[in-house]
Amino acid sequence: MLKWIGAVVVLLILGAVIGLSVMAGGIRGAYGMVRYALPHMHRGTLRVGDNAPDASLLALDGSSRLHIRERTGARPLVIVFGSYT
Amino acid sequence: MQIYKDYKDHADFLTVYVREAHPTDEWQMKSNVKEDVCYAQPKTLEQRVAIANDFVKRFNYPTQFGIDDMSNAANDAYAAWPERIYIIEQGRIAYRGGMGPFNYHPEEARSWLAARYGEVKHEAPAALPDKKNN
Repeated sequence: MLKWIGAVVVLLILGAVIGLSVMAGGIRGAYGMVRYALPHMHRGTLRVGDNAPDASLLALDGSSRLHIRERTGARPLVIVFGSYT
Repeated sequence: MQIYKDYKDHADFLTVYVREAHPTDEWQMKSNVKEDVCYAQPKTLEQRVAIANDFVKRFNYPTQFGIDDMSNAANDAYAAWPERIYIIEQGRIAYRGGMGPFNYHPEEARSWLAARYGEVKHEAPAALPDKKNN
């Protein structure tokens, strides 16, 4: 019985590694995804209709600040989050 | 950024720079090496500002731009990393995009704007001449 449980566990791990490798473009990508990406990826709890949270952001000049809520006026505000790399 | 060009007369746009997704000292992508987009994960806000400015200059990026603090407050509030789109209307979430990269679909935000302000159509690129006829 233990042998079967061990075999199933090994197969599940192997399947997860293969699946992640396919998604991430190789075994190195799978490692990168597990090590660096998954800890920072969160689905979040915001839903359509919720109040939009505020946050203070630094402007490109490196000194002035803006707030997300300040930017929400009569017109819809499209917010695109991302990075360069 | 076609969606901005198409709807800037109807909606405001804000791009928020959050922590790097594929820096050189973490999970670097070959495509970034090829495109000479090689940065270590910023350890200071000044480093984030420098990278954000590089991005804006390289692409002549047109929208308003904000940089998340090192506390990642905006990222945490919106579960934004690595990339995500929201639309806020009258202080409330009107559209919540999926988590990037696999569920990052700007076309959904475009559809939201199109439903509100009308679709903006673009001419399809002209077909290349058929070599057989040359």
